[in-house]
Amino acid sequence: MLSRVANSICWIARYMERTNGMLRLLRTNYISSQDEVADFSWHSVLRLYSDLPASQTEQIKNHSPKVLEHLILDTNNTASVCNNIYRSRENARAAQDHITKEVWQCLNDYHHLIRDQQVHNQIRYGDPVTAFDSLIQHGMLYYGTVDSTMARGEGFNYLNIGKFLERAILSADMLNIKLTEINHDIKQPSDTIEWRYLLYSLSGYELYLKTYQGKFETKNVVEQVLYEGNFPHSVLYCLQQLTRYFERLKEESLPDSYAEVEFLIGKTTNHVKYSNIENAGETAQQNFLQQIRNELFQIANAFNQFYFGNT
Amino acid sequence: MNENLLKGYSNNNQIWDEMFDSADIRPAYENFVSAIEDLSTEQMNHKDDLAKKLFMSQGITFTVYSSGEGIEKIFPFDIIPRIIKADEWNQIESGIKQRLKALNIFLKDIYHQQFIIKDGIIPGKLIYSCPNFLREMVNVDVPFDIYTHIAGIDLIRDDKGEFYVLEDNLRTPSGVSYMLENRGMTYRIFPDLLPRNNVRRVKDYPDLLLKNLMMLANSKSSFPTVVLLSPGIYNSAYFEHTSLARLMGIELVEGSDLVVDNHIVYMKTTKGLKQVDVIYRRVDDEFLDPLVFRSDSILGVSGIYSAYRKGNIAIVNAMGNGVADDKAVYAYVPDMIKYYLNEDPILKNVPTYQLAVPENRKMVFEKMNEMVIKRTNESGGYGMLIGNAATEEQMDAFKIAIEADPRNFIAQPIISLSSAPCYINGRLQPRRVDLRPFALYGPNGIDIVPGGLTRVALREGSLVVNSSQGGGSKDTWVLG
Repeated sequence: MLSRVANSICWIARYMERTNGMLRLLRTNYISSQDEVADFSWHSVLRLYSDLPASQTEQIKNHSPKVLEHLILDTNNTASVCNNIYRSRENARAAQDHITKEVWQCLNDYHHLIRDQQVHNQIRYGDPVTAFDSLIQHGMLYYGTVDSTMARGEGFNYLNIGKFLERAILSADMLNIKLTEINHDIKQPSDTIEWRYLLYSLSGYELYLKTYQGKFETKNVVEQVLYEGNFPHSVLYCLQQLTRYFERLKEESLPDSYAEVEFLIGKTTNHVKYSNIENAGETAQQNFLQQIRNELFQIANAFNQFYFGNT
Repeated sequence: MNENLLKGYSNNNQIWDEMFDSADIRPAYENFVSAIEDLSTEQMNHKDDLAKKLFMSQGITFTVYSSGEGIEKIFPFDIIPRIIKADEWNQIESGIKQRLKALNIFLKDIYHQQFIIKDGIIPGKLIYSCPNFLREMVNVDVPFDIYTHIAGIDLIRDDKGEFYVLEDNLRTPSGVSYMLENRGMTYRIFPDLLPRNNVRRVKDYPDLLLKNLMMLANSKSSFPTVVLLSPGIYNSAYFEHTSLARLMGIELVEGSDLVVDNHIVYMKTTKGLKQVDVIYRRVDDEFLDPLVFRSDSILGVSGIYSAYRKGNIAIVNAMGNGVADDKAVYAYVPDMIKYYLNEDPILKNVPTYQLAVPENRKMVFEKMNEMVIKRTNESGGYGMLIGNAATEEQMDAFKIAIEADPRNFIAQPIISLSSAPCYINGRLQPRRVDLRPFALYGPNGIDIVPGGLTRVALREGSLVVNSSQGGGSKDTWVLG
């Protein structure tokens, strides 16, 4: 496969995963802004997904429709959902002959959906949850379409590599934000509602209830988000999947390139697997999450260098 | 019968209409008309909407880039097919084959011994003054002596229904994907009508093209690597490039994906470099190799020209074809057919006056309002003046430009393009059309899929069918 095409395919998946993660996070935040105290602030979300200057952030941070419009529909916001979908589709255009027609049409429809006036109206004046639901559902359609139409070749592997790499980064980021909010004090009994929202955002709430029988403890949530092997959004699960799809590339790789990237993925996986965040102190925790993040970026860079020919 | 649909279809007697012969429906259209004449306006509108929706959701669009984000445009599609009878098609087919054979010999001759100049058929000055005559191609041998692998010949019809060749497109003609997609639309919009009318298939095109491309490499490898070279996603024909690459199952590459080492062309893959044997390029000559042609080109590949000269890579179409579809050289194509093949041309040329000849210039200036004046090296409907629609100032401006550089202009009498019915605003209205069949010239001969792209001038009264100037297209049926 052409290096440029492999790169594009990887980014189709990364932008779609980012879109999905962001939509779920915003949906949960929006709902929590509705059943909570009046001073709900979008500050931490805006810091993550917006490049507005601080003064403007201050102005809109308590105004949900404005925040949603900015984060979802604003084409001037580089990190907005509509830009993510647009870029995913542009990458798909550049790799159109290596994804199936169904996948291309699905992304193309998604691009048209987020430009649909009805969706815009729902977000601005109506019920944003309806808009979220239809957008998220279309994202699910994308996953299903990839899964049931793509040949199990290089293209499929790169789609999965992009997906799990991005997902690992997202989960680590979201966990980090919440832990920062409670000053990394895992043992402290915390406001369960916050953790509930984190789990909602990562589609892990039901699993948590079944596993821990409704007992909300910070350390359990951290445990699930970092280590739970059956939770498709846990960092460890993502790394294991990443390993799995990467190993399938062996035949199509130069031996040296394969060895370089394999080393990094293996190192990060073990680093997560054999860590013990529960008993770590505040600084150690912070450092650990930061380090995981850096290592994930290193993996992405190694793909750039050894597989996509971008040095 | 739906009164509205055909009511007021006024076809001008000065113009050949594809569907109506004064008040009667031509035999080729009878079946089709009987199938739609009872449909209500709602049903027809529904079909029209369906077509638009399908084009949009399948991403069959071209993208206009402005303010950073692409705007999707649909190439306007008219749902009423253009229908061609079997005997008309036979004439078109044999005419194009003959013409292409002569043009191909011409290219070989002009880049080798130049007998046609030595025998005084074409003035050497005309050839050497053509900017698309590439000295770099002189004495370069191309595989199987084929230059014009893919050609799009534009045909029009005069008021008597006779076909004329308006232009030969021998460089990188586009539009074939719309021929294929338009057919894909028709069976969704008018179920069952295709088989019932015995319409011949067009979908063999990608297979025929791929077979030809593979054969060009037959001396080099038993599993040749064929790629399609595109200028990239910002090119307006990018949709066509991806759909052809997909239909043939070949790699779609951009200039930056290729690299030349020791006169061999490679593509950069995740597994290192892989040799390429055949390139179907959709990049123009002048951008192909920055070392030889335009040095500021980033669409091309450095060193590809020398790899081509060495015979290490086959490039389709050959470089330097522009000399054969120059609008001034066009005037000599009937002579070429006579000279090389000793045959009379089956398809006529539109009479063409070179304005480099003083007598022609005088004559044309006298009756400029009856003439179309074209620049010899422009395409897409640009750089042209239609006499009966031009203002005095425009004519004067052209006169000055012509006097300054007469070689670059030709004049042709205004030919009234034939009209075909289009579904516009709830009823059928006549609009002018042309026809571009696509011919494939391979080692085993010339194949022309029965059909082509019918382009329509959607503006009332307009004669310009180019998509950049308000043109659209129709599905084209050739009856078996």
